[in-house]
Amino acid sequence: MSLAIAGMGWITPLGSGIDPVWERLLQGDEAQAEKITEQFSNQCYSVFRVPESALTSSPRHPRLRRASMISRFAAAAGLEALQAAGVKLDSQSAERMALVFAISNGGVIYTKRFYRDIVEGSAQSASPLLFPETVFNAPASHLAAILGITGATYTLVGDSAAGLLAIRMAEDLMTNEALDYCLVVGAEEVDWLLCDAYRRWRLLRLAPPVEPFGRIDRGMILSEGAGAILLRRDGPIIIEGTHAGGNYRKRAEAEELMKRILCDLSRTKIDFVISSANGTFIDKAESRVLQQVIPDAFVYTAKPALGESVGAAGLWQVILGGQALHCGELPPLLHVRRTIPLQISPTRVSLAAAGRAIVLGSGVNQQVAGLRLSIR
Amino acid sequence: MVKSTSANGKKFTARVAVVAAGVVSPLGFGLSETLDSLREARDCVNRVTRFSVAQCRCKTAGQVPAERLLDEQRNRVRARRLHRASHMIICALGEALTQEPQFKPELTVIGTTSGGMSYGEDYYRSLKQGGNLRHSPTWIANYPAQKPVIDALEAFGIAAPCEVVSNACASGTNAIGHAFDCVRSGRYQRVLTGGYDALSELVFVGFDSLQASTPEKCRPFDRHRTGMVLGEGAAVLALENFNAARARGATVLAEITGYGISTDNFHLTQPDPSGIGPRRAMERTLQSAHISADAVDYINAHGTATPFNDTAEGKAISELFDRVPVSSTKSMMGHSLGAAGAVEAVICLLALQHQFLPPNINFRAPDEDIHLNIVANKAQPALVSTVLSNSFGFGGTNASILMRKFDA
Repeated sequence: MSLAIAGMGWITPLGSGIDPVWERLLQGDEAQAEKITEQFSNQCYSVFRVPESALTSSPRHPRLRRASMISRFAAAAGLEALQAAGVKLDSQSAERMALVFAISNGGVIYTKRFYRDIVEGSAQSASPLLFPETVFNAPASHLAAILGITGATYTLVGDSAAGLLAIRMAEDLMTNEALDYCLVVGAEEVDWLLCDAYRRWRLLRLAPPVEPFGRIDRGMILSEGAGAILLRRDGPIIIEGTHAGGNYRKRAEAEELMKRILCDLSRTKIDFVISSANGTFIDKAESRVLQQVIPDAFVYTAKPALGESVGAAGLWQVILGGQALHCGELPPLLHVRRTIPLQISPTRVSLAAAGRAIVLGSGVNQQVAGLRLSIR
Repeated sequence: MVKSTSANGKKFTARVAVVAAGVVSPLGFGLSETLDSLREARDCVNRVTRFSVAQCRCKTAGQVPAERLLDEQRNRVRARRLHRASHMIICALGEALTQEPQFKPELTVIGTTSGGMSYGEDYYRSLKQGGNLRHSPTWIANYPAQKPVIDALEAFGIAAPCEVVSNACASGTNAIGHAFDCVRSGRYQRVLTGGYDALSELVFVGFDSLQASTPEKCRPFDRHRTGMVLGEGAAVLALENFNAARARGATVLAEITGYGISTDNFHLTQPDPSGIGPRRAMERTLQSAHISADAVDYINAHGTATPFNDTAEGKAISELFDRVPVSSTKSMMGHSLGAAGAVEAVICLLALQHQFLPPNINFRAPDEDIHLNIVANKAQPALVSTVLSNSFGFGGTNASILMRKFDA
């Protein structure tokens, strides 16, 4: 079953709005790193945050008054996607729209604050206002309330592949003809606690740049924001098929899984791949598989420019793929320090005749998924 | 194959069979122990032992015994590195695969609310207190919500991708419902589904802070109900295209025949008091199954025993159904959050197979505002052909599924 992208929206460390952020990526801009310090030691981390200016035009709604940043990001991206599609919801049309939300770490800032109060004080210090915001589906609930969606709402939890799995779920949901649209949103917020966790896991780099496909896995920089796509049954940008992929047990097995996904999705000519290379072990696996399966396709990853946004990452990748097909060019791939046997370019590349792309979602927590895009 | 379209627009081609099931909960390890507990109306809620509850109003929960959980693991050395949520789902999947060793799902859809939360707590406490962080890579690696599911699949050599649904307390039913839709649509032949959650301090204190949990007994739908108690557990169901299951001679434990989901946007933690959310979910479930309300023989209610939930749910049920027997089995084992819908689906399966109504224990007096036919305090023998199971959660998410007895 194929679906079409009716509208897209995002809020990223390079700002908000599909066209302005896309233009910055084409110009080779990368997000400004911000230093954050761990609370219990002096360990310092670099993160790519959403600039305050990007939130000035974000929606105002009673539900968002006390909501976490992740919910605000999701609302901004979701509403932009609807606006781009020219969709205005009333009570009838809202019933014919499903919402699928992808998330990884969720409302980590409020969760940490809630638990900190318990650890530093006692159970009696725990805030009943914070607790509901710690629940994984709180952002989806806020967005559903803002939009008035009364039908299916799902929150999927996973790693960087969660966004693509959410699109897979949307594809399954849209077999139901009672639905006209499915809004898929991925969101994440960043905090020093996540930086510490990923550092202990040897996946984090303490300062930029993110160097994709490097000889050494120097690590990723965490980022935050949200991406949203509104799906319907027809339109110019098509999701020809999704691949739910699978789970790898050990890092060494990730490559085999990626190969299976790429082989399945590349039975037709592929012009470019939106990779998830982020400076970690997945880069080598993706690089090897891309060389083997589709050596002629151009490869691009936005993670040097935007960082690793985990729950939002898959949606950002799909938006990048959609924009590249629509505009007929790819942004420059930043910070590749060596010659690698892949079709990459440090300058923007014209792909005027490009018709098909693969988005490969390789997470660092054992999940891999993919999908294929085309333009009519 | 004839295609038709249901009242709510769903194209469907396939009947959906439950061909295997497994469960671990405070009611017991496995279907047999669970059945015994239900028939004997055991109160399986006791004082919390996993963390201090000295400063909480509520002191009790339904808990799965830790030692036995570890004893049940096939690979104990590896098991020691895994979260107890993984242990629970491995046990449940192990039981299901004993019934259907060749079951190879194309997709796994599992519900949870908190993944390996207690490892997140251990990690934060150690950071805060400058303690030993030697175990932190293990804590961090086992914290993500998908990890217990992947652990369980790996333990039995299953390679299916997993979708982890986190729709608060409705997660388990949403997972089963989505898995049902996947098979029913004809896109999948076999889907493994269910839910899990392990008790954690953060979540326990969270419900305590909201004063949603009770220092007393959990008394769903009772006039003097004062709130919920938490629980934990895991349950899985193996769903298969009915015709394919029959063709290969599989035992069909029951059929899932309907699923409904709704979102009410009233409040992040409270249901719309009118009961519109639960009502829509139940109506959509009946429409999806093409049956009328009077065909339902038993309802396993969400029934948390909070004043808000039971009033809204009770109102919705009494508006739609005429004196159908209702019970909340959370009274016996607590509310296992993401596992609840899955455990309760297994309870419904047992009710269908063994022809009885599971009890709503600790029930003393009916609430004048809730007009339900409660299965009070004792299990009852009954002719049960069709059952409905409800789950509602934070965020205003509501889900119901319908299951039907299958006579070979």
